[in-house]
Amino acid sequence: MMNTKEQELQVLLVEDNPADAEMTMDALRQGRLVNQVQWVKDGAEALELLLGRGDESAAVARRLRLVLLDLRLPRVDGLEVLRALRADERTRRLPVVVLTSSHEEVDVVRAYDLGANSYLVKPVESEAFMAAIIELGLYWMLLNKAPGDTK
Amino acid sequence: MHISAMTKEIRDPAILTPTAEAATGRAEVQRQEALIKTGALQDAIFNSANFSSIATDAQGVIQIFNVGAERMLGYAAADVVNKITPADISDPQEVVARAKALSAELETPITPGFEALVFKASRGIEDIYELTYIRQDGSRFPAVVSVTALRDAQDAIIGYLLIGTDNTARKQVEEEQKVLDQRLRDQQFYTRSLFESNIDALMATDPRGIISDCNRQMEVLTGCTRDELIGSPFKNYFTDQERAEASIKQVLSEKKITNYELTARSRDGKETTVSYNATTFFDRERRLQGVFAAARDITERIALDLVLKQKNAELESANKELEDFAYSVSHDLRAPLRAIDGFSRKVVTGYGERLDEEGRRLVQVVRDNAQRMGHLIDNLLAFSRMGRRELVLQPLDMDAMVASVVEDLRAAEPTRSIEFACAPLPCARGDAPLMRQVWVNLLGNAVKFSRRRASAHIEVGGRTQGGECLYWVKDDGAGFDMQYAGKLFGVFQRLHREDEFEGVGCGLAIVARILQRHHGRIWGEGKPDAGATMHFALPLAPADDQASEART
Repeated sequence: MMNTKEQELQVLLVEDNPADAEMTMDALRQGRLVNQVQWVKDGAEALELLLGRGDESAAVARRLRLVLLDLRLPRVDGLEVLRALRADERTRRLPVVVLTSSHEEVDVVRAYDLGANSYLVKPVESEAFMAAIIELGLYWMLLNKAPGDTK
Repeated sequence: MHISAMTKEIRDPAILTPTAEAATGRAEVQRQEALIKTGALQDAIFNSANFSSIATDAQGVIQIFNVGAERMLGYAAADVVNKITPADISDPQEVVARAKALSAELETPITPGFEALVFKASRGIEDIYELTYIRQDGSRFPAVVSVTALRDAQDAIIGYLLIGTDNTARKQVEEEQKVLDQRLRDQQFYTRSLFESNIDALMATDPRGIISDCNRQMEVLTGCTRDELIGSPFKNYFTDQERAEASIKQVLSEKKITNYELTARSRDGKETTVSYNATTFFDRERRLQGVFAAARDITERIALDLVLKQKNAELESANKELEDFAYSVSHDLRAPLRAIDGFSRKVVTGYGERLDEEGRRLVQVVRDNAQRMGHLIDNLLAFSRMGRRELVLQPLDMDAMVASVVEDLRAAEPTRSIEFACAPLPCARGDAPLMRQVWVNLLGNAVKFSRRRASAHIEVGGRTQGGECLYWVKDDGAGFDMQYAGKLFGVFQRLHREDEFEGVGCGLAIVARILQRHHGRIWGEGKPDAGATMHFALPLAPADDQASEART
C-alpha cells in the first residue's frame, strides 16, 4: 500500500501483528490527527523503505514525522532497525516511539540507549490501548517540535 | 629319740658349752645368765600362740607340738605326738607337687611325703616355703613354714623343727591386691579401647606439638605406625604444615579449637580432609600436659556439600528456566488477547445497533474474560520478573518504606476509614523495590480484605529475634480458614470468591518469591471473619545473593 500522495505521509508503523496494526491505525484515525499511516510488517521492509537506495527513500524520510516501532519483528528486529536509523544521517533525528508488548527492563534500557524517543507498552485492554495511541498521536503530531518543523 | 632326751640335750650346759672347765670365773657368770635366758627363750617359743612350732625326730614323727600348733591346727599335742608326721597335716597334692619340683631342681628322686618337706633343710639349705595345712576338722589355711634341721654334737640330724605362721591374712591382702590390680588393668583396657575404637583419629601432643599418643584411626589416616607417629611433630602429617602448627598455638592460647579444617596426607599420598576439635589437657596438679585432638574425616561431607550445591544450582536454574518460559509465554499471549478484546469492542462500536441486548451482553462476556486473562498474564509476568530481577542489597529503612506505602494506599481509598498502627520496625538489608513490593502486597491485602469493616484496623510491627528481623501485618478483615493456609502462597491461589474480593491470586506468591530470594520466609495465620496476620522474616546478615545471581 505504497502511498502516492507523498506530501501526506506522516507516520510509519512497523508491526508484524495484523490485529495490533489494525487497532493502532484505527486509533490514529479516530484521533483525526494522522492523515496517512504507512504500515510495514517487518524490520527489513522498514529499512528498505527508509534507508534504501534512490530518491524515493530520501523523500519518504523527509515526509515522516514519527515511526511507531515494534520490537519483536521477523527478520530484522526492532532494536536493529533503531540502530540502523540512528546510524544514518537521513534518519538520525527522526522521532521513534517503541510500541511493544515487552515490559522487560533490558528492552527498555537498550531501546533508550539506541536513541528511542519514547517507550510504550501496549495495554491488553482495548480502551486503554486506544486511549494510549490517541494520546501518543496527539503529542507527537501536534505538541512535539521536531528539527526542521516549519509550523 | 624322745622328747625328754631332746630337751635335755638342749638344756644340758655341757652340750652348749663343752669347754666349761676352761672358762674364767667371769665367763661362768655370763654363761649362767645365758642359760637362764636360753630357757626363757625356749619357753617363749614353745608357748607362743602365734607360731606353730612342731619338732620331729629324724623320720618325721612329731615329737613336740606347741600351743600355737594346737591353736592353729585344732589337734591336741597328745593326738599327734609320736603318731603322725607334718606331711599328714599338709595338703597332699601340694606335697606331691613339692616333691616333683624338688626332684627336678635337685636332680634326685624325692619321695612325696615328709622327705619333700624337709629335704632342703636336711642338706643344710635354708628353707622357707608356703604350704596349706589341714586342721583336724578338715579345714585348711595357708601357712609359711620355716624348716631347720636339728643336729647332735656330731652334727648328725636328730630331727627337724618346723616353725609355721598362719598366712591367711597376708594371703587375703594379696588376693585383694590382685583383684585391685585386675580392676586397674580392666579400667586401663576399657579406657584404651574407647580411645582405640573411636571413629575419629585421636592424638595427644606435648605443648610443642610432638605426638605423645595416638589411636588406630590416626595410623590409618597417616599410613604410619604408632611407633613412627609418637615422638614426631604433629604438623608433619598435614599438607599445610604452617596451618597445622598454628592450630596447636591457637589451642594453647585459647584452650580449645573447634571445626578446624586441615588436609591430612598419608604416607602413600592419599589426602583426607579432616575437621578437628582440640583442647588442652592437664595432670592432677593442673600442670599443662599438651593438646588432645580428635580429627574427623569430612571428605564425604564435603563431597555431599558439593553435590548439594550443584543440585541447588540446578534447581535454581530450572526455576529460572521456568520463569523465563512463563515470561515468554505470557508475553506472547498478550497480543492475541489484545486482538480478542479490541475486535470485540469493534463489534460493539461498529455493529452494536444491529445486535440485540443479548448479543451485546455476549460480546461483553468475551471482553470481560479477555481482560481478566490479561490481568492473569500481567500477574504471571510480575511473578516471573521477581525471580529474574537482579537483587541489589542495601540497608532499608522499613519505617519510611511502610509510611510511604500506607500513604499511597490511603490516597487510593480516600473514602474509607482505615486506622494504621505502625510500631517502629527493625532495619534490614534487601532490594529496595522488591521489599517495597512486599509491603505493597501485604498492606494492600490488609486494606482489601478489611473493606467490609466500617472502620478497619491494620497493625504493622516488627522485632529482631534469633538472627532474624521479624515483621507482621495484622488486619481485622475477612481472614481465612487455617486449613487452607497451605494455599496462601501459590500462584493463582485464591481463598475468597472473585465476587467477594477481586484479584487474581498472585500477590502473596510474589511476596513469597521475593522473600525466598532474600533467604527469608513468610507465614500467615487467620480465622474467618476475624482477620489475618501475615508474618515474614529476613535474615539479619543475609547471604550474598549476588553470587548466586552472577550467572544471570
